[in-house]
Amino acid sequence: MLRVNILLLAGVMASAMYLVRLQYESRHLYTEIEKAQSEARRLDNQRERLLADKRGQATPLRVEQIAKDQLQMRPATAGITVYVTQGAAP
Amino acid sequence: MSRSVLYTSSPLLASKTPVWRSRLVLVFIAAGFLALVGRAAWVQVIKNDFFQRQGEVRFARTLELPANRGRILDRNGLLLATSVPASSIWAIPEDVERDKGKLAQMAKLLEMPLAELEKKLQDDDKTFVWIKRQVEESVAREVLALGIKGVYQRTEFKRQYPEGEAAAHVVGFTNVEDRGQEGMELAFEKELAGRPGSRRVIKDRLGRIIEDVREQVPPVPGRDLQLSIDSKVQFFAYQKLRDAVQQHKAKAGSVVVLDVQSGEVLALANYPSYSPAKRVNLSGAQLRNRALTDTFEPGSTMKPFTVALALDRGLVRPETPIQTAPGRITIAGSTISDAHPYGVLSVAEVIQKSSNVGTVQMAMKLQPKEMWELFSSVGFGQRPQLPFPGIVSGRLRAHKTWRPIEQATMSYGYGVSVSLFQLARAYTVFARDGELVPVTLLKSQAQAAGVRILDPNNAQSVRQMLFMAAGPGGTAPKAQTIGYSVGGKTGTARKQEGKGYAEGKYRGFFVGLAPVDKPRIVVAVMIDEPGTGVYYGGEVAAPVFSTTVQQTLRMMGLQPDMNVKPQIVVGVEESF
Repeated sequence: MLRVNILLLAGVMASAMYLVRLQYESRHLYTEIEKAQSEARRLDNQRERLLADKRGQATPLRVEQIAKDQLQMRPATAGITVYVTQGAAP
Repeated sequence: MSRSVLYTSSPLLASKTPVWRSRLVLVFIAAGFLALVGRAAWVQVIKNDFFQRQGEVRFARTLELPANRGRILDRNGLLLATSVPASSIWAIPEDVERDKGKLAQMAKLLEMPLAELEKKLQDDDKTFVWIKRQVEESVAREVLALGIKGVYQRTEFKRQYPEGEAAAHVVGFTNVEDRGQEGMELAFEKELAGRPGSRRVIKDRLGRIIEDVREQVPPVPGRDLQLSIDSKVQFFAYQKLRDAVQQHKAKAGSVVVLDVQSGEVLALANYPSYSPAKRVNLSGAQLRNRALTDTFEPGSTMKPFTVALALDRGLVRPETPIQTAPGRITIAGSTISDAHPYGVLSVAEVIQKSSNVGTVQMAMKLQPKEMWELFSSVGFGQRPQLPFPGIVSGRLRAHKTWRPIEQATMSYGYGVSVSLFQLARAYTVFARDGELVPVTLLKSQAQAAGVRILDPNNAQSVRQMLFMAAGPGGTAPKAQTIGYSVGGKTGTARKQEGKGYAEGKYRGFFVGLAPVDKPRIVVAVMIDEPGTGVYYGGEVAAPVFSTTVQQTLRMMGLQPDMNVKPQIVVGVEESF
């Protein structure tokens, strides 16, 4: 009888220790998730910023200046445009 | 025999005390333990909330989850305003280490005078003070790298406006707290702002989150707002307007571009403008959204409405001759005259030449009530239905108070005041074959249902007259474009100051539509106080109209409706 009791006690002790360990691990993982989530937020913010920057680089003002100065382009007029109508071709 | 001591039965140990005493001690000890158990149960099980609370105060934190402010997009999904993270530097003055060298370095990084920085840190009683808000992240990193004790950073959101000053009046801006202050940012504050969420967490000794205590309240991000504005058209219109205002040394100017089919505002620009991201030393003149908030007498641009009404009432036909000689007409003792005497003109020519006398003759056959009804049904004197701060309704007096001379002057646009936006919208009546279209600043897919105001045939006749007015022999040949037929009316009005008209101060404007047969857009341009001596609408405003129409229709992919001499050298092989 005593032996069974000791065995059970050992089992309870082991289980308790395991519980403590699991709790510790779960908290640890939780911190990891938190870290990953804040990284995701940071990346999301960065993406938003880069999108804004990209848009800032492609504003009509800048595009027009570069087209004019660097690429020697000029605005299209009706005189130098060929209009094609969808579905009208044979 | 040696004497031995038998310890087990030492007479010294033999208790002489009564048994009850030891029992009493036992009872006391037992009672002590019981009391401890009772207290433990009380503290941990029965009345545990106080200690629970104390524990939570030490480990649990409520975090606010900020909601992202919605973005503002143009009709093609291009960004007009978006929130990006920015660092704000704050300090606890009491804790700040007073190292002159480091503080000077920080002041330099933050581009502020050292004296100002020291003034902020002066108040030792405060536990929180902003040093500088919304600085670049790289700058914030450098500041923190200085390692000054008591200086911290915190991430906030800052609005960026890639389109800059071209769209400033429409988009508006937010303040440092990310709340809308002007334009669409203010008008749609509720939708854009979103609702912050919150979560209750337990943090460990190192400040790491290890557990959520309650269910999270997730943040509700602000809704994205898609405007009807086309950023290319907007930019183009703004650029041309700015050039014209500068060229004519004018005080200001506005331009409005409306899509006739959908009633959408494709562009709405004013000059002078401002850069929404750098709002230092802003003046009221820069902030004014003149197209919506400034009213003026529409002058000759009103004549087509008078003529349309006369046509609708069957009083005249486009070819009906009207005698305008000798270029003067007297109504109730006041004389109204034309710039040149024209003699006999047809109704169409009255618009083409912009004859005041001809228009007044038609107006005097109309009832004041009829005129008032038409004017107010096209939106004059009515506040435009736009979700925009500070829109004005203009002035159109009740017809019962009109004297005959007022009825006469109103027929050619004096004695009534409108905003440029109202004028542009009113012209959709001619562009949509007699229907007035509701306008919107938000993108809409469907074709807008209009309200019928004029007979379609009469609206088309007026359109032909507008075409003549913008053609050779009209008042605004400079409104013409390459490839697209345009129709429109010039207006030049003396500015009112106090009770009378100001000497030498004018506004030149032009309202028109294109292409004439099947109009797609209405464009209105106004130039305020041109300073070079040239002030006629046909001279200062019509060229802006022309380039804006040309570019807008080309960007809409519309085929020219007029013959254009091709300038293409290489032929296109039709192999598809």
